[in-house]
Amino acid sequence: MNLNRLWVLVKGELSRLNKYNVTSISILIAIMWSIILFFVDEVALASLLPLILMLDATLMSVMYIGSVMFFEKSESTISTMLVTPSTSSELVLSKVLANTIHNIFSSALIIIAFFFIKHVEFNWFLIFLGIFAATAFHTIAGLYLAYFQKNFTGMLVNIMILAFVLLIPTALYEIGILTADFWKYLLLINPIQAAAEVIGGAFTGYVFTYVYYISLGYMIIGGLLVYRLLVLPKFHDYAIKQSGV
Amino acid sequence: MFKVEDLKFKYPNNKEDVIRGINFEIKEGEIFGFLGPSGAGKSTTQKILIKILEDFRGKISYNGIDITEYGNEFYEEIGVSFEMPIHFSKMTCMENINFFLQLYKNNADCEALLKRVGLWEDRDKMVGEFSKGMKIRLNIVRALLNEPKMLFLDEPTNGLDPTNAMILKDMIKEFRKDGGTVFITSHIMSDIDQLCDRVAFIVEGQIKEIDTPRNLKIRYGNRTLKLEYKEDGKSVLKEFPMDDIGKNDEFLTLLQTKEVETIHSGETTLEDIFIKVTGVSLKDESE
Ligand SMILES: Nc1ncnc2c1ncn2[C@@H]1O[C@H](COP(=O)(O)OP(=O)(O)O)[C@@H](O)[C@H]1O
Ligand SMILES: [Mg+2]
Repeated sequence: MNLNRLWVLVKGELSRLNKYNVTSISILIAIMWSIILFFVDEVALASLLPLILMLDATLMSVMYIGSVMFFEKSESTISTMLVTPSTSSELVLSKVLANTIHNIFSSALIIIAFFFIKHVEFNWFLIFLGIFAATAFHTIAGLYLAYFQKNFTGMLVNIMILAFVLLIPTALYEIGILTADFWKYLLLINPIQAAAEVIGGAFTGYVFTYVYYISLGYMIIGGLLVYRLLVLPKFHDYAIKQSGV
Repeated sequence: MFKVEDLKFKYPNNKEDVIRGINFEIKEGEIFGFLGPSGAGKSTTQKILIKILEDFRGKISYNGIDITEYGNEFYEEIGVSFEMPIHFSKMTCMENINFFLQLYKNNADCEALLKRVGLWEDRDKMVGEFSKGMKIRLNIVRALLNEPKMLFLDEPTNGLDPTNAMILKDMIKEFRKDGGTVFITSHIMSDIDQLCDRVAFIVEGQIKEIDTPRNLKIRYGNRTLKLEYKEDGKSVLKEFPMDDIGKNDEFLTLLQTKEVETIHSGETTLEDIFIKVTGVSLKDESE
């Protein structure tokens, strides 16, 4: 791993996110969320803000990395990257880092807006930790999912299905419709629920139990494992398939 | 520089080998032409040599060391141009170049390269707005960015107009003059006929012949001399064998007595030889 080259690659990814308008879209979405949140009352805000931050860190992360992989595929640029001295791990890690940084940035916009406008209170360290862990995990998972997607529309449909399966129970639990303990345990294996916990932990009123720590461990260790065992080993094969070989 | 021994390759989703036991050597400082019709296995061979396709059988060494033993430092020394020009279309020409430059230890003089291929004026244009020919030229610049020792060019002349094809060929010759080695593929013989030091004919994953274009022409060309002269106000064309032409009385008499219009030695083209050797015509492949 050459850190210099990794940095060049991360900068390249970030500048492409900007050039290919992913940045404008994510800023637009952040503004949209902020406007919606601006008009809800104090009580609703307290539950909606974490929910939206969670959405941003999870589904949006999967969607952004998926789109990035498709842009890249449509230009076959990956084959050119393969004949530079950059290693597979530099190429993959740069994508994970760039997309994580990028998506944290849009979450940060929402947070900062609410800190100043509505004076919402939260723990800065925990909110950063939570958003980082959730975003990194979902970017890595999204990268892995992108390996298997045949086309862009298919990918969007699959994300919708995933969202439906994972998000509905979590949302119902968050809003307080599902209350039975059974759900609490089942939701532990749901990455979106884990993301909700690690982000929720930053807000006043959150009760820390083992659930928070399990969720945080899930995001961090799970992310590392998915990266090391699934994403990295499969990258070269994926890259070669994408390059039309 | 490269030594390929009994190379075989099968794509994972195919039943049969597309490369079927080929042997050749690329010597340091030469331009090695890999010629054959579409689907012969030229691009596949290039992709194996540049370590993109890994599951090959046989042995390939680069500077005496098995290529599988090289890490990614291998790419510091080689420059690659793929069959399709590949760039980030929403970045400018210069942004593309600067990005790739930073990935290498050695950096070539890009201004000179861009000027050479006539893209310097367009360096701040989005590559997406480039014409096909401009993209191909940028592809060549990209392949030369790291001052490589060895160049791999997959059908580089395909899609270039004659002027730019000429510039490209001059650049390749200069690259060789400065000590570089080149592997170049083409399905259009005439394109790189005069460029290559040695050529290999590949058909259906097998090499049918390897030699210098000159030797091939001597071995397979029918050496004749065509004489065109005026007789009774009309042009007459006669063909003579080149051997012992100085003792050919009919030829000498014609020279002395007739008004000669043209004399040509019957150069056989590489394309003719290709057809003779392989039995496969390239003509219908030309587009
Ligand atoms: N990714 C692939 N999967 C399966 N077969 C392939 C693939 N790429 C090329 N081929 C086949 O391999 C053969 C050689 O292709 P290629 O090396 O591209 O030929 P050339 O470059 O000489 O035109 C062709 O029959 C082609 O159809
Ligand atoms: Mg080809």
